[in-house]
Amino acid sequence: MALVLAWGLILMGAGFFLAGTIGLLRFPNVFSRLHALTKADNVGLGLLALGLAILAGSPWVALKLALIWLLALLAGTVSCHLIARYALREQGGREQARP
Amino acid sequence: MEQVPLYVLTAAGLFAIGVYGLLVQTHLLRRILAVNVIGNAVFLLLVAWAVRDGRPPDPVPHAMVLTGIVIAVSATAFALALLRRYYRDTGRVSLEDREDGPG
Amino acid sequence: MMVWWLDGLLALGLLWLAWQAVTAPRLFRSVVMFIVFGLFMSLCWARLAAPDLALAEAAIGAGLTGALLLSAYRALLVRHGAGREEAPGIAPALARAIAVGSGVLFAVLAGILLTLPGAEAPAGREALARMEELALDNPVTGVLLVFRAYDTLMEMGVLLLALLGARVVAEPLRAAGPGPWRRPGLSEPVLVAPLVALLVPLIVLVAGYLLWAGTTAPGGAFQAGAVLAALGVLLRLTGRLRPTLTNSLYERAVLVLGLAVFTAAGALGLGTEGYMLSYPAGWSYPLILVVETTLMLSIALTLALLFSGSNGFRGAR
Repeated sequence: MALVLAWGLILMGAGFFLAGTIGLLRFPNVFSRLHALTKADNVGLGLLALGLAILAGSPWVALKLALIWLLALLAGTVSCHLIARYALREQGGREQARP
Repeated sequence: MEQVPLYVLTAAGLFAIGVYGLLVQTHLLRRILAVNVIGNAVFLLLVAWAVRDGRPPDPVPHAMVLTGIVIAVSATAFALALLRRYYRDTGRVSLEDREDGPG
Repeated sequence: MMVWWLDGLLALGLLWLAWQAVTAPRLFRSVVMFIVFGLFMSLCWARLAAPDLALAEAAIGAGLTGALLLSAYRALLVRHGAGREEAPGIAPALARAIAVGSGVLFAVLAGILLTLPGAEAPAGREALARMEELALDNPVTGVLLVFRAYDTLMEMGVLLLALLGARVVAEPLRAAGPGPWRRPGLSEPVLVAPLVALLVPLIVLVAGYLLWAGTTAPGGAFQAGAVLAALGVLLRLTGRLRPTLTNSLYERAVLVLGLAVFTAAGALGLGTEGYMLSYPAGWSYPLILVVETTLMLSIALTLALLFSGSNGFRGAR
């Protein structure tokens, strides 16, 4: 049962990654691409980590996976913010780009 | 283990790609990339060799490749510093290939 | 079998990425493809039962090399669109023939290497068999610091030499390294300060753990040094560390510390055991830990300075 649940979560996570990647490749501009990539990949990685934690079956490994997910969230957020800010400034939206 | 021949063939392919890049590209940054690809091909061969007989992997090639990775990054950094200085002094990003060039 | 799929995809991905890195029409694409290539190599090491290498490759091959390449790309972009590219002095057909020939030669030599009968007790088996003497559980660390310590010692020399060479040919400081982060009239993005505040202690913790774990599990001075160097890169990029033309006595001391302490520990062995680079009986574990710590500090500062393109660092303000 736990095995089915874990693999279900992993496959769902992979689905989110796939959707995010398609969005990255197909969406027209920087902002919608960032939206697709960071939103979908954050959820995808979370599901993946959850599935792997169930597979590992050890609370320590689960904790480490959670930490990895949080770090990826943080790095993704900040780099998405920086790229969006830079793109906005390049398009002349300098006033809005100020924090 | 079928893994080993697969990775050895991949290493050969990477080596060929690196040599090709080194020959046809004149941009020095691309040549630095090509040399790095060649280096990685050799690392891959060594590490695939380390697991050839299915026993616990041989630590000597691992240690050599670990050393090699650090050497590769320091050599790349040095090459990039050379390239930046060259670009700054001459405004060019490729070497003069012809014999009659200055120097 | 699923595992086969994984190896096959990885191999195909490696070849495609290398091809893109070498031939993509836009230079920026080449550089990015090479960085992804580094990440794939890291997965490859994990598949080939080399976790030490996977860690080092992720931190150095993909991380630091990528940062170096992007910074150099940006420097080349300054004047005229990454420079004009000259036509190669060789016919593409000939180049292809030479490349394919060299690949075939490589494969043939590798095939011969793999089918060689091999010695009864190659160095690696000998090292594995003698691990109990060392109070270490990670054979790669054992090989690096005990059985083939000469390699590691020389490597520290090469690292120092690369830094000195890079300093000799370096550009003037105002053009060196990555561009200025805090341009006048441009405030720092909101999220950067919290990120730095969180990452700095975390990176120090991870580096310390990698160093400590390196005696029994994958990790060690190289991986820890690379992670610490990433800290230097982060602080340099966010303007917390400024590049300087001069370096302090401390910085110079740290740069040669690894080499000096390693040599001293080796000489100690010469005195007590009669061999250079062998550790006095009973002292190998503490000595290895001391040597690894100093190696980590030297590697970290050297790599960070290579990235920064400066002689030293100074805290902002």
